[in-house]
Amino acid sequence: MAIRLLLPALLLLAADDPLKVGFAKLAGFDYQEGMKLPKEVTELDEKLVEIRGFMQRESPGSEPVNSFLLINDACGCNGTPKLNEIVFCTLPDGVTTDIKPGVVTVTGKLYVGEEKEDDVVIMIYQLDADTVK
Amino acid sequence: MKAHAVHVLVALAVASPLLALLPLGQDPAADWPKEVERACTSPRYGLRLAAARKVAKGGGAAVPAIVAWADKNGRNALPQALVDAIADESTTEAPVLDLLFAWAEDRDFYWRASALRGLALRVGPAGYRRVAILKLCKAHADDPAWLMRTHARFGLALGGDAGALALAEGDPRARVRLPLLLLQQGKLPPLQPLIDALGDERTFQETPWGQQTANEAHKALKQWLGDEHPLAKGGAFADTAQALAAMHAACSKKSGQALTLPQVVRDRDVAFAGGVELLSCKHGDQFVQWTDDGRVFLGVDAARELTVPAANWDAVSKDRTALRLPDAMGAVVCDSIRLRWAAPKTHGKAAPASLPADAANWLKRLAQAIEESGDAKAAADLRAGIEQFASR
Repeated sequence: MAIRLLLPALLLLAADDPLKVGFAKLAGFDYQEGMKLPKEVTELDEKLVEIRGFMQRESPGSEPVNSFLLINDACGCNGTPKLNEIVFCTLPDGVTTDIKPGVVTVTGKLYVGEEKEDDVVIMIYQLDADTVK
Repeated sequence: MKAHAVHVLVALAVASPLLALLPLGQDPAADWPKEVERACTSPRYGLRLAAARKVAKGGGAAVPAIVAWADKNGRNALPQALVDAIADESTTEAPVLDLLFAWAEDRDFYWRASALRGLALRVGPAGYRRVAILKLCKAHADDPAWLMRTHARFGLALGGDAGALALAEGDPRARVRLPLLLLQQGKLPPLQPLIDALGDERTFQETPWGQQTANEAHKALKQWLGDEHPLAKGGAFADTAQALAAMHAACSKKSGQALTLPQVVRDRDVAFAGGVELLSCKHGDQFVQWTDDGRVFLGVDAARELTVPAANWDAVSKDRTALRLPDAMGAVVCDSIRLRWAAPKTHGKAAPASLPADAANWLKRLAQAIEESGDAKAAADLRAGIEQFASR
């Protein structure tokens, strides 16, 4: 009986464990606007994930932010990040964070697919961020 | 009505040859000041990126608007995306080349290395400007900023100077970057640095620079290998060892080069207690790490080791532990200094002219300790770098 009660709890725990996703996978292809995204990234759509990277503001400033870019490169050494080298992270409404130095780990639900504004692709990875550590 | 139609036909007849002279993708009707404004200030990154590409495709016609925007807002307010987009275009129109030269020669411009890359890429088709490009590349082949000297050597190599690949290089990131750039241009460089990078797992104060280099190297090799990539038909490598072996075999076969099997490279077995990472497109990057007992390591790969005498190190450590730094100091755009240590737990990042005086003074003390321990050049480089960040 105890086992029968415990099993769903364990399954729930496993289902809620975030998938560790790296930029090697997210940025591992040559992105062109309108292309069919590789299966290895589309299968991450709507998955709970954990991604490590560097926080960067989307616009200049020094105030705490509700949304930020997560990128793979702290120094711009590899040139301007391409859209598949950026995860656009948004914290819950009303929640803000400072831009932290060094590598952070962001957890949340990932959405994969081209998102357009003014007929221009503005992102392909969006993350509803729950935690930033 | 009939006359109007004739006028239109005449106008078309006159304009058509002129339009044909426009480089591919240029938009003669574009409002360049508006597009440049979009490229620099749109609130969304993707919109800035798209506008930057459009401005870059505008070629020489867009240059006056870029210059006017930079004059008004400061050259360093230009986004890297715009400079990279212009660098990546192929036009050799005089205004574009003039702009790239002005940027690449400006030591204070954050994105001068991107501008030099743009010139390097044009060394072939640049006509009479080729000599000037090669001269500039030669002048920066030993620049303290690793991206600047790498792009300078890239230009020299594309210009036919095979010796550029053999120049001494102490930064492991640069050793990979140069062959990577050449491979992306369809040139086959010695592949060993790229193959070796695949197994790099080294870090600096938790920044996985080795893995980043490995990812970039793999992406470039994957593109070059095409159908000959071990996973061209899908699937995944079983583990790192299998990945290294498979990539080594595929690259050896396609290149015909005698490549050695890469090994996994990890951090030295040292208990680092803290570190300072100074990233400067002007003075070059500086990396310092230390242990509690006064062993000091220099370089992103901690390749150089010094020992600071105990009494001296105790004094340096005491001054450091008295520092109280916020996480963020100033608004970082490009150049930055990051200070991180375990006790008391500290992790702060500062923009130029934003580092508190006590922290700047402590860094000078650290530089002095490094000098007294036998590395005057590293100490001088660190001092030069600190000046950029000390608050004024």
